[in-house]
This record gives sequence, C-alpha cells and structure tokens, in this order.
Amino acid sequence: MKNFRVFKALLKIRFQNLMMFRLGFWGPFFVDGSLFLIQLVIFDAIYANVERIGSWGRGEMILYIGTFSLINAVNMAVYFFGVNGIVGKIKSGAMDLYLTKPVSPLFRLTFECMNPGSLPLLLLSGVIIGYGVRTAGIRLTWGRVLVYLFFLALMILLYYEMEVLIRSVAFYLVSNARMEQLEEMGLELCMNLPGIAFYGVYKVIFYGILPYGIMATLPVQGLLGEMSPGLALHGVGVVCVFSAITAFVWRNGMRHYNSASS
Amino acid sequence: MKIIETRKLSKTYRRVVRGEGLRGSIRSLVKRQYESREAVKNLDLTVEEGEFIGLIGPNGAGKTTLAKMLTGIIAPTGGEISVMGYYPNDLENEFKRQYAIVMGQKSQLFFELTTNDTLGLFREIYGLSEREFRETKAYFTELFGVEKLLDVQVRTLSLGERMKMELMAALLHNPRILFLDEPTIGLDAVASRQIRKFLWEINRKKGTTILLTSHYMEDIRALCDRSIVINHGTKIYDGSTEALFEKYQKERQISVSFRQPVGEIVLPEGAAVREESPYKKVIRIRKEQSGELLQRLMEYHPSDLTVEEDEIGRVAERIYAEGVLGQE
Repeated sequence: MKNFRVFKALLKIRFQNLMMFRLGFWGPFFVDGSLFLIQLVIFDAIYANVERIGSWGRGEMILYIGTFSLINAVNMAVYFFGVNGIVGKIKSGAMDLYLTKPVSPLFRLTFECMNPGSLPLLLLSGVIIGYGVRTAGIRLTWGRVLVYLFFLALMILLYYEMEVLIRSVAFYLVSNARMEQLEEMGLELCMNLPGIAFYGVYKVIFYGILPYGIMATLPVQGLLGEMSPGLALHGVGVVCVFSAITAFVWRNGMRHYNSASS
Repeated sequence: MKIIETRKLSKTYRRVVRGEGLRGSIRSLVKRQYESREAVKNLDLTVEEGEFIGLIGPNGAGKTTLAKMLTGIIAPTGGEISVMGYYPNDLENEFKRQYAIVMGQKSQLFFELTTNDTLGLFREIYGLSEREFRETKAYFTELFGVEKLLDVQVRTLSLGERMKMELMAALLHNPRILFLDEPTIGLDAVASRQIRKFLWEINRKKGTTILLTSHYMEDIRALCDRSIVINHGTKIYDGSTEALFEKYQKERQISVSFRQPVGEIVLPEGAAVREESPYKKVIRIRKEQSGELLQRLMEYHPSDLTVEEDEIGRVAERIYAEGVLGQE
C-alpha cells in the first residue's frame, strides 16, 4: 500500500517535471513514434522476401514483432529511463540519497523516470498484434490468451531484470559499457529474429545466458498453442533464476557500494 | 541515552596503483597492484541523544566516511557500530525513518520543480499523515521564513535559500538524528549565520541530535558544545569545543589608535608588530601576555583600542598540525 502511494507520488512528480518544458513533454511522443516506425520499416525490409521462418509464416512474424514491440514499449514507458540512470548514480555518488530514504532504492529508481511519450507505442503494438493474429488466422481461445498474457508479464519482468542486472555491475566494476553494448546487440538481434530460428550453441546463448531469444517467442508460442510443457517450464525457470541472480547482485552491490568521494 | 556507539570502527579502501607510462600500464594490465587506504581507523565514539556535535578535520581526514558509515551508505570494514540500536548498513527502513542527512554538495530537491513538490513526495516516502505533514511543514516554514519560496522553482533559489529548503525536506519527518555534511559550504556570511541559528533552534527545541561535519570552524564554535577532531582517519580530540579553542587560540591581536603621534613602543618579549604608523599600531601577542601589553599601551593614552581573538582559520591549522591531545 505504501509502495503504491510512493508510486503515485513518483508518477505525479515525473509528470510535473516533464510538463515544466513543453518540448520535453511532447518531444518524446514524436521521437519514440519515429523510432517505432523505423523499426517497422526494418522489419518490413527484412521480411519482404522471407516467406517462412521455421513453422512461422508472415502472420506469426507480425505477431512476434508486435509482441516484442509491446514488451519494449512497456520498458520504455515505465522503467527504462530510471534503470538506465543507475550506473551514473553509482559513479557520481548520487546513490547516497537513495540509500538513506525509507523506500527501496530500486523501486524508486525504477519508477522515478516514467516516460509518457512511449505510451502511444503500447497502442500501436496492440494494433500490430491484432493484425498479426488476423493475418495468421489464429483462432483465439481464453486459455491461449491467458497463457499469452502470463508469459508476456513474465517476459516484461525478465527484460527488466536483465536491465537491472547489467547496470548493477557498476557496483563492482568501474566500467560496464561493454555489458550494455552486449545487451543492445542481443536485443537488436532478437527483435528481428524469433527464438525458433536459433539452434545449437546459439539456442543455449539466447535461451539461457542472454535470454532475449525467449522474450517475445514464448508468449507467441503460447498464443499459437505451440508451447510444450518443457518450454513453459524453461521460461518460468529462466525468469526465476534471473530474479534470484538480480536480487543477489543488487543487494550485494548495495553492500559493496563505496560512494564517490564528496 | 546513547544514540550512537562505535567501537574500533574502521573503513579501509582499496585502490589500484600503477607505474608510470606504457610499461606501467601493461604491467598493471597483467598484474594489478592495490594499496590500502585507511579512511577511518579504530574509532571509538559515543553520542548521547540531544547532543550537538562537531566533526572537524581537514580534507580527506575521514569525516564524511564516518558520516556515511553512521547512515549506512557504506559498510565498515572493521569494528562495531550501532545507531539507535541498528546496524546502519542493514539499511532497514525503520532505521532510515529515524534519521536525516543533508549533504552540502548533493541536493535531494528536484531542481525543475518547487520545494512543495519534493515535500509531497517525501511525505509519501516517510508515510506521514496529512496532519503531521501540515504541522511540521508549517513549523519549518515559519522558522525558516520561507513561505513565499515554497512554490518557486528550486533552480531559481539562491544557495542560502536552497539550503533552507534542503533542511526543511530533511526535517519533515522529525528525525531523531540529523547528519549534516558541510551544510554551509559556499554560503555567504549572512546565510551561514541564518542556517546556524536554525540548527541551534532545532537542536534545542526539538531535541534533535545533530552531528555536524564541517571544516568551517565558525559553524563548530557557534553551535557545538562538543567537538571531535579527526585527522588521517584517527580521532585526535573528543571533548568540549570551548576547551579546544581555549587550548589552540594562543594569540591576540591588539589594534591601538592615538590622537598624537607615538614613536616606538617598548613591547613585551615575543610580541610582533603587524602594522605600524605614528597614529596606529597593530600588535600580535601570546594571549597570556596580552594584559601586560595593554597596561603598557595605556601609558600612551590611546584614543581607541580593540582586542581580537586569533583568526579561526589559524586555530584550525594549529589543531591539525599539532595533532593528538586526547580527551578534555
């Protein structure tokens, strides 16, 4: 209950902050919308001449793209800008003030820089998902939709955990820029290529070590009715393991924090 | 009642050292070499509730490191620490609700917004009731005289006004302990005096224990009954502030003016003339000889005479240079 009140206060203060500058408020709508359109053009260019990837046709691919866009839009709208600031706050010593307030520093960091400019992307992603469902001729059932929503929520959590984990490295190392590059590359690849395209060592990497390959793939497989119990278990397992690792690295990191000299 | 207690508290930082030039860089790449730096060494400290304590020391003495350990921001590497019965680095919310920290160089206010906006957020973070929030805010608004500034964008406030707002935001939840790290840094004399007056009032009226870290001796002398001097991570003095200044304020500066021109004055041994003209003389002398000098000066029928204490900056230099003198 207290966290909900803090969340509301952070949301309010974020809106007030953004509204101080008109361009700062309206600008992200334009920038995020443009980036989204560029992403769509790239997908279109890639898949204009590709009829199938594995068992997936054009409709399933559109559904995949819409789902990945939706996960990314939630990330951009809710926590990306807050989590992305973690490294800077550790290095500058600004983390000091987060550690001294009676609210989880990670909770505050996560929700203090929400970005309303990305909200339209949620809607656009929904439209793409709808179009994909129609193009693929998927017969929706309540069961499949629930599986889809369940794995969508899990993958949003996984995406968040990966972001926090990579940035928490700054508690231990001076530079984590390469880690962020790795994250960027992994995301870029998996945004364009569904997990079903990976085999062998690539599957091990993108399903287990840098699990960007399962992020949109599992929810889509759930909606298509293609998900085996083993794969579902794998998805839940990966999220649990990464939750535990992220919690450990973050908590231990806070104890490791040396605070930049004032 | 003891509110802070440490025993043999230590903090050691490890830092990389490497040789000069490319060869040093390559060697460091293959085999890292570290050196340890003890920021705080075996520090014993006891603070009673309601005390106003000054933590003095030159740059790099370990004052800020100590304050950060007491607030849980960083973990000690050795010794014992208890603040209000908590181990600070456990970072328990119940502990954090009972203290506040103000760092002169790190602001907790949102620069683009008003102080009222920040206070609204802090109200939720500290879980204050509407009544509690309103009453505390009204108290500090009146005390600091900042009613007209609460709805002003923080970035447009002067440094002194901003510090008042920082204090207000920090004190909103009525903490038992207030840690202040260089609160008057960069402030002019008027603003510093105002801040000192508020701190004195908060300590006396609210009973808030205050630990003030500063290397501005004016702050310490004006506010703190007890001072702790730290140098190279070690406590070199813990006792009465007055006794500390008494011990190190060794000289007096006497300025004397005359209506008639006066030639050379026979001074007691050890006195030094700083400024000399037929109508005015400025003399520096050890404080125990100042009476003797005054008696001699009176023989010349001065028109005006002032006796000044040693400059506070010189006192600080002496304290740090002479080091250990223990407990008074």
